[in-house]
Amino acid sequence: MSSKPNAEIVQTKRDAPQARPAMARWRDWLGVTPFFLFTFLFIVLPSVYLLVGAFRDTRGQITLKNFVGLFAPEILSAYWVTIRISAVTALGGGLLGFMMAYAVTVGGLPRWVRTILLTFSGVAANFAGVPLAFAFIATLGRTGMVTVFLKTVLGLDLYDQGFSLYSFWGLSFTYLYFQFPLMVLTITPALDGLKREWREAAENLGASTFQYWTRVALPILMPPILGAMILLFGNSFGAYATALSLTGGFINLVTIVIGSQIKGDILYNPGLGYALAVGMVIVMATAMMIYFALRRRSERWLRQ
Amino acid sequence: MSFLTLVDISKTFGATVAVADFNLDIEKGEFVSFLGPSGCGKTTTLRMIAGFELPTTGNITLDGADITFQPSNQRNVGMVFQAYALFPNMTVAQNIGFGLQVRKTPPAEVRRRVDEMLTLIHLEEFASRYPYQMSGGQQQRVALARALAIQPRVLLLDEPLSALDAKIRVELRLEIRRIQQTLGITTVYVTHDQEEALSLSDRVVVMSRGRMEQVGTPYEIYNYPTTEFVASFVGQLNLLPIANLDRDARSCTLAGQPIRFEHSGDRPISDTPRLAIRPEEFWLGDGQERNLLRGRVETLIFLGAIIRVRVDIGDGVLISADLFNARSLNLPRVGDEVLVSFPVHACWLI
Repeated sequence: MSSKPNAEIVQTKRDAPQARPAMARWRDWLGVTPFFLFTFLFIVLPSVYLLVGAFRDTRGQITLKNFVGLFAPEILSAYWVTIRISAVTALGGGLLGFMMAYAVTVGGLPRWVRTILLTFSGVAANFAGVPLAFAFIATLGRTGMVTVFLKTVLGLDLYDQGFSLYSFWGLSFTYLYFQFPLMVLTITPALDGLKREWREAAENLGASTFQYWTRVALPILMPPILGAMILLFGNSFGAYATALSLTGGFINLVTIVIGSQIKGDILYNPGLGYALAVGMVIVMATAMMIYFALRRRSERWLRQ
Repeated sequence: MSFLTLVDISKTFGATVAVADFNLDIEKGEFVSFLGPSGCGKTTTLRMIAGFELPTTGNITLDGADITFQPSNQRNVGMVFQAYALFPNMTVAQNIGFGLQVRKTPPAEVRRRVDEMLTLIHLEEFASRYPYQMSGGQQQRVALARALAIQPRVLLLDEPLSALDAKIRVELRLEIRRIQQTLGITTVYVTHDQEEALSLSDRVVVMSRGRMEQVGTPYEIYNYPTTEFVASFVGQLNLLPIANLDRDARSCTLAGQPIRFEHSGDRPISDTPRLAIRPEEFWLGDGQERNLLRGRVETLIFLGAIIRVRVDIGDGVLISADLFNARSLNLPRVGDEVLVSFPVHACWLI
């Protein structure tokens, strides 16, 4: 038998239409087009607009004055308050969320508790803004249900004790409502990834529970814990509507200052607002980069 | 007195009996395998020895001391897990030294012992690597070194090779046996792979449904199985229906053809006795002191070193005969009439 027919068969097969037509690949791209369109219209374009606007004055001339303005005491104070509130709620929400996630994963709680917690977290992590502010005013405001209940039934007046929902700590407390569920959602997969065999291997080698946690479990969990807390920090750093609705601008957050610079009648200075926003973008982007770096490290460890 | 003793051990999970009536004495330096299918209780028994599970009843004694209720981190028993269980945040050297460090061993001694273990497993140059940078076989060798570094009184291995590919499995199997014999460490090995159990062990415990079916040397287990389960689980076995059984004359008929057997009288025979013969006991052709069967070749299966011939001997009875492959082998064809024979002593009744 000559080799020619074989060669023809090979040639024919190579020329045959693809098992999956090119059209299908084109349709796949069509599916993600809205995502790219959305990203371009609402992330890329506004970012470019911000960046350009940050270097222009009110007459449209190029200037660095807006960035110099960032170092004004009231602006630095806004950044400082925002960083403090973000750090406090990231730590508080992170700790609370970690303990809850631990209880429903590594802990011995029944499966249904986990289902309820994760479902609640999915909703609560996205529950912010005016509705959240209203919910807290209705419960922990001066005439809120819980405040009144504690005062009339238990004789405990929260506001006499120094608590105020409209203060730094009140706002932090309100932020916790969406911070700890975000921690639960981000840390649960990491806790699920802790293998039972690691604990058993450690025990078998003579380690106590404390030694297991300090030498094995926590070092493994540290990248995702830190990563999740950075995510929480960023989440709090960018919050606007909740703080504005709750405190009416009484607390000097960066987002509120930006709002007043862009739409305010007295403080109208969009260039400074844009520069503030660029500063926020830098802080958030840094937070995200650290988060992804830590996550990548932890994923590399857990790769088999 | 035995080194490791399990007396009347049972374990139940709710209504499920995982292990029942388990009694075993293991001598110092002995290599014992628990062999059985999934869910037969072999891993549960191993975990009770390790201290990860508490027996529902019974006692475990190690070197004369009752360890039944002793916490696992105080037993000084090394364990190797199926999925390696190396700590991913530690290098190979840190993994191996972990057990010594938590025991507050001086750093110099930890380093010496780690080096010794790395030499033992032939991975000296891998000390600073992380588990994710190593193959499955290398990781399992590190896991073995980690378990041995603490100089355990007993080494427990829970299906350590089942996640590895066939070639590595055979290599590592030899490695495990070499290390075990070098150190003379008492070892309990759990596997569902009969080849592993037979090739590694001094003794094999065959388990089924939480119970011990038979304990014996690999030779005894393979050649003298005492239960139908052991006979069929360990190795290939023909279980053939017989008629006209005469126990005194040690004869019966198989598909109408006369058979003689040398059944040992101490073994009970079931109500529906069957003739058991290993496939490798058959020859194609005649021979002295052999039972002869006539039949027609149904299929030929080429398995490399072995060729499995299935022969229909009538009445719908099929026998499997394993022939050692050789270039000089004169193989029959499918449909050929053949004469197969097997030694009288090679068959027994179940």
